[in-house]
Amino acid sequence: MKAFRFVRPSNGREAADLLASTKNALVHAGGVDLLDRMKERVDEPDVLVSLCDAKGLDQIRVEEDGGIWIGARVTLAQLADEATCRRFLPTLSEAAGLAASPQLRHRATVGGNLAQHTRCGYYRHASFPCLKRGGDSCPVRAEGGVQDTAGIFGNRDCASAHPSSLAPVFGSLDAEIVVRDAKGERLVPFAGFWANPAKGRASDTRLRPGEVIEGVRIPPRDTKQFVGYAEIRQKKAFDWALVSCAVRYETDGEKVTSASVWFGSLAPVPMRSVAAEEALVGTVCSDKSAAEAGARTMASATPLAGSKYKVALGKVALKRALAAARERA
Amino acid sequence: MSDDVSRGAAPQGGASHDGASQDSAPQPKGAQAGKGLTRRALFKGAGAAAAAGAVFQQLDALAKDAVPQAPRSQGPGKTKITLEVNGTKRTVAAEPRETLLQVLRLPLDLTGAKPVCDRGQCGACTVWLDDTPVYACTILGVEAEGRKVTTVEGLGTPSAMHPVQDEFVEKDALQCGFCTPGMVMSAAWAVKQHGKELTEAQARAACAGNLCRCGTYPHVLSAAVAAAKKGS
Ligand SMILES: Cc1cc2nc3c(=O)[nH]c(=O)nc-3n(C[C@H](O)[C@H](O)[C@H](O)COP(=O)(O)OP(=O)(O)OC[C@H]3O[C@@H](n4cnc5c(N)ncnc54)[C@H](O)[C@@H]3O)c2cc1C
Ligand code: SF4
Ligand code: FES
Ligand code: FES
Repeated sequence: MKAFRFVRPSNGREAADLLASTKNALVHAGGVDLLDRMKERVDEPDVLVSLCDAKGLDQIRVEEDGGIWIGARVTLAQLADEATCRRFLPTLSEAAGLAASPQLRHRATVGGNLAQHTRCGYYRHASFPCLKRGGDSCPVRAEGGVQDTAGIFGNRDCASAHPSSLAPVFGSLDAEIVVRDAKGERLVPFAGFWANPAKGRASDTRLRPGEVIEGVRIPPRDTKQFVGYAEIRQKKAFDWALVSCAVRYETDGEKVTSASVWFGSLAPVPMRSVAAEEALVGTVCSDKSAAEAGARTMASATPLAGSKYKVALGKVALKRALAAARERA
Repeated sequence: MSDDVSRGAAPQGGASHDGASQDSAPQPKGAQAGKGLTRRALFKGAGAAAAAGAVFQQLDALAKDAVPQAPRSQGPGKTKITLEVNGTKRTVAAEPRETLLQVLRLPLDLTGAKPVCDRGQCGACTVWLDDTPVYACTILGVEAEGRKVTTVEGLGTPSAMHPVQDEFVEKDALQCGFCTPGMVMSAAWAVKQHGKELTEAQARAACAGNLCRCGTYPHVLSAAVAAAKKGS
């Protein structure tokens, strides 16, 4: 790791001010993702603006209007264990509890989970060329490229697969990201938070330099929600999802009236499937309508030779997420 | 680019907002006093009746409190870190880029926690930070300042072993031993959390972040459960 200065602002505002006035600085939260990148010298910041002492960003709370506020520094362990999250946001709690390992969940934060960089092995090794790191092409797509975790959508230029398993859940819940810079705060709708890959664009988000995530807000609902989450991975313990899927829908007592379907690990950014949502609305939610929704989602998939299996896996994940939603109800 | 992706990731622009911030959180009771006093409240309260001198005196006193202190900055060179390690206060000099694992092993000479992957993927470096298991290789030494760190050396000593250490010997729960210090810290945490009622499933979940190349898992789990029964 290159040497750096470590600065400890005491709140989000101070962090944003520091970022505005400091050259070559990066935000540090749990460090789970960032330190790996720095050890490989893929990132070489001169300054880390750490949230380790930042106050007020480590809470989950119900707001006056019934919405739920999750501070950026809330850990995955808090999401998995705290009563407010378990009770009001069960799919988020479930996804967080399955992620990584106990040791990592104690450190990994919500802000860092959303802003983490791709796990693509080529991206994380400075000796490989990589489009996202400014190279001319993507070695995953080239002959002999390791494709076993590659994305199957939006993979023309970069075949990375977005690693966050919280992201599809946040998407399904219409989360809004609260972002601060030195001038103030803005609220970013979940879908507008993400940036498709481009040459030299390392981050998968639209966060601008100098911006810090202060938290995530889940809007209140006054009707009954059916929510489900499923992920599929190679090992039961301590593994990444090969595909994850989060759903939320409402019914008129029988038929689905509106649906939200999001996938993780299928595309460079978290992916909403409008095709699946349209297929579900008007049906009675069942394995049969789930199969139809899965087929329609996958109709536009563009898998690589090594990631074809994700087409089938994605359908199964959607079926399981919808079944989980029915069972919970 | 598929339809789904481009719709999912389409820029939608952030609406301006001031509802969900920390600032809108209700102030705790008694916030008017001392540091919580705002300039506006002071002027309101002072009113026209107060002598100007008194107001300025108060403002001065307030300013000393209210002037934001520049956030602490450490490094890039060596900086002093004071932390409580295995019950003893220790002060070391380290650069911010040194991980907690490096700080424990080199200046502090506690070589129980092992550097194996150095990437948060194996568990060999597991220690407790404020009583919670973490990977010391993913934490910077500077972050441990003022906090409590427990390593396998602090759990027990060869002459006075922790029940989990005892049971690891009893149940033959190690082979090469490289994962063992981390495994012991996770197993001991499971015992601490669940007490005598610890089940094998709970022990398994607690040790899920510790990989063992030699495959000692079944013995590790039975050692954890046996240690819990004995009580610690
Ligand atoms: C072995 C392993 C397994 C894992 N398994 C899973 C899994 O199953 N599911 C899953 O979802 N994740 C998984 N993860 C990823 C892990 O959850 C993330 O790396 C973690 O959440 C990052 O959070 P952090 O606080 O450590 O971020 P850091 O490492 O501190 O930061 C990550 C990035 O986000 C930026 N950042 C952090 N906080 C903010 C903020 N508030 N505002 C702006 N930018 C910010 C940093 O600048 C940096 O670029 C795994 C990681 C490992 C190592
Ligand atoms: S998949 Fe994306 S991140 Fe990985 S090497 Fe290709 S361009 Fe880089
Ligand atoms: S050495 Fe820290 S987790 Fe492997
Ligand atoms: S005993 Fe050898 S790695 Fe676990």
